[in-house]
Amino acid sequence: MQEPLDALETRIAELRRAIRGALTVREQDRVRELRAELRRAERSWDALVTPPDRPEEDRQGLASLLPAREQVHQALTLLGAPAAPKLIAAVHAAFFAGQLTPSRLASLRRDEERSYRAAPGARPYYLCPALTSDLLSAARALLCVSTWPLEQRIIGPLSPRVDFLTAAIQIAEAAPSLSGAATGSASAAVDRLLRRFAMNIPGAGPAQPGGSVHAETIAAAARAEFDIHFARDHDDRAQAAVRARQQLDDAEQLFGARLAAVDDTGTGRRLPGPA
Amino acid sequence: MTATDARLDSLRGSTEPLSFTARTIAALTANPGCVRRALMDAAGADKAALATHVGFPQRSGASQSPFALTRGGIFEAQVKASGGADLVRLLRDKLGLDLPEVSYSDLESVGGNTTKKVRYRRTRALLLRAARHPDQAGTLYDHPMLRLQVGGHLAYLEPDVVAFQIQGKFHVVEVKSFAVIDGQADEESVAAAAMQAAAYIVALQDMLTAESLSASAVSTDVILVTPENFSPQATATFIDVRKQVAILRRQLARMARIGVLLDELPSGLTFDLAPDPDGNYTRARGELASALEVVPARYQPRCLKTCELAGFCRDEARAAGALTVLGSVVRDDLGSLDSISTALALASGIRQPSADQADIARALRYVKSISDTLAGGTV
Repeated sequence: MQEPLDALETRIAELRRAIRGALTVREQDRVRELRAELRRAERSWDALVTPPDRPEEDRQGLASLLPAREQVHQALTLLGAPAAPKLIAAVHAAFFAGQLTPSRLASLRRDEERSYRAAPGARPYYLCPALTSDLLSAARALLCVSTWPLEQRIIGPLSPRVDFLTAAIQIAEAAPSLSGAATGSASAAVDRLLRRFAMNIPGAGPAQPGGSVHAETIAAAARAEFDIHFARDHDDRAQAAVRARQQLDDAEQLFGARLAAVDDTGTGRRLPGPA
Repeated sequence: MTATDARLDSLRGSTEPLSFTARTIAALTANPGCVRRALMDAAGADKAALATHVGFPQRSGASQSPFALTRGGIFEAQVKASGGADLVRLLRDKLGLDLPEVSYSDLESVGGNTTKKVRYRRTRALLLRAARHPDQAGTLYDHPMLRLQVGGHLAYLEPDVVAFQIQGKFHVVEVKSFAVIDGQADEESVAAAAMQAAAYIVALQDMLTAESLSASAVSTDVILVTPENFSPQATATFIDVRKQVAILRRQLARMARIGVLLDELPSGLTFDLAPDPDGNYTRARGELASALEVVPARYQPRCLKTCELAGFCRDEARAAGALTVLGSVVRDDLGSLDSISTALALASGIRQPSADQADIARALRYVKSISDTLAGGTV
C-alpha cells in the first residue's frame, strides 16, 4: 500500500512543479492538461488513503496515472505497427486499464519532438510520426515508437494495408491470453476490436452475419493476405530506409524531413524524393 | 486579363473572388436560366454576404449544417481508417478488385504542406503517371486535389477518393453519410452527390486530355459509399453520371461565354459591398438592391436550396406577383401567363383572354367554379 502512495506523492509534486513551469512560459494548453492530470492524481491519492471498498476502480485510477505517452507506448508495442490515434485508443481500452482518449494524443507528438530536440536521447524511447516513403516527411496521424527500426516506421504505398494486417495478427494472438482473466466489459471491447478487423479481411469474418468471430481464424486469414503484400511492401520500405539514412540527420530520421516551401521558381530545397 | 475578366472584377467590386467547391459547381446547374446567378458565380461574388447586406440573410439550404459536416467527417474517417480497410473490402466485394491491389496514397498533405497548389501538383504527377504506366500505378488516392476552369477562374476540387486499377479506369469514390435503406436513398441527396461527382469527373477528364491522354480512362460510373440501413457499416453503390457530366459541361461552356450576358448590362453596374478596413460593408443598401434588380433573375422555389441569394429573389418575385413563386408545376401549367393577378383575373372573368389565352382561361374558370361550389357547399 505504501509504495503506490509514495509514487503518487512524487508524481503530484512533479505535476505541481510542471504547472508552475508551464505558467511562467504561459503555455495555457499545457497548464490545462497538467491540471487535469493533477486532479486525477489527487483523486487517486484520496482513493488510496481511504480504505478500498471498490478495488476495481482504484486499479483503474492508478493505471490511468501512467502518462499518456506510456499508455500509447503499451498499445503500440502490442500492435507492432504504426497506428492512428483512434486505433491506439481502441486497443488501449480493450487490453489495458485506464482511460486514453484520442484527444490526449493530440499534443503528444509535438511535446515529444520538443523534448527530443532539447535533450536528444534523454528518454529511453520517443513517440514519433511514421515517415512517408516518398518524401521521408511525417505521415499524417500515424504514431510509432522511436526504438523501432526505420523499415518499420516508414509508410510505403502498401504499408497501410500491411500494417492493418500486422495489427490484426497481433491483436488476434493477444486476445485469447486475455480472455481468461478479463472482466466482461474488457472482453467485449476485445471482441468489438476483433470484429472490426474480421469484417475487412477476406475469410476472417463470422460464418453467419452476427455470428461469433474466432481469433485463430482472423490471425490465419490476416496472415494469408499479409503474405501476398509482404515482399513488395518490404522492398519499398527497405529502399526508403536506405535513403533516409543517407539523407536525414538523427532528429529527421525520427520526426521526418522538414520541407522548405518550394516556390514556382524552383529555388527552394530539393525534396529528398526518389531520383 | 481579358476585357471580360475586368468587367467581372468590377461587377464584384473590391472583395476577393470566392473560390468554387464541388458543391457550388454542382449548384451552378440547378437553375441554368438565371442570369443573375450566372453573373454572380462567374464574378465570384459573395452571394451570402450580398444577401445579408440587402436584408435577406440566408437561413438554411445552400450552406451545410455543422452537424451534417461533423457526421460526414466521422463517417468518412471510419471508411478510410487503416489504409481504407472498409473501402478495400467494398471494392473487392462489389467490383472484383484484385487482392494485391491495396496501395494507398495520402494526398491530403505533401510533406506537411497542405496548400492547394502543391497538393494539386503532386496529385497531377501521381495520376498522370498512373494513366501512363498502369502497371506501376497505385490503387487508392485519398483526397487528391483537382483543378477545374470555371468561368475564367481556377477552382480547386477535392474528391474523397479516386480509385484506379478497377478495369483499368479511374473511378471517383464519393463518401456520403446519408443512409441507403433497403437499397433506397434520399433522391435529392443522391442527385446532389452525383452532380458533385460529375464535377470531379470533368476535372479528371480535363487533366488527362490536356496531356493528350484519353478522357475515356475516367469512368463515368461513380462509386457512392454510404452507411447501410441503420448501421454504421458502409456499403457501395454505382451511379451512372453521364448525364450530369454532360449538363455540367454545357453549363461550364455557357459560363465561358459570359461576355454575351455582360454586354447587356449598363456600364458602371457593380455589386461592390465596399468593405472598410475593418471589414464592415459600407455600400448603401437601397443602391445595392437596385443594382441587383437590374440583372434579371429566374426565381423558382428550388433556388432556396441551392442559392444564397434566393430570399432576395423570392421577395422580388412575390412583389411582382410572378407565377414562379408557386413552383415550376404551376408555372408550366399556366405557360402563357406571367403573373398571379392575371391568372386570377382570367379565372374570375374580370379580364377577357386574348386568343392564345383562351384555353387556359377556360380551364381556370372551370377550376374556379369547382372551388366556388365547394366553398358554397361547406356552409
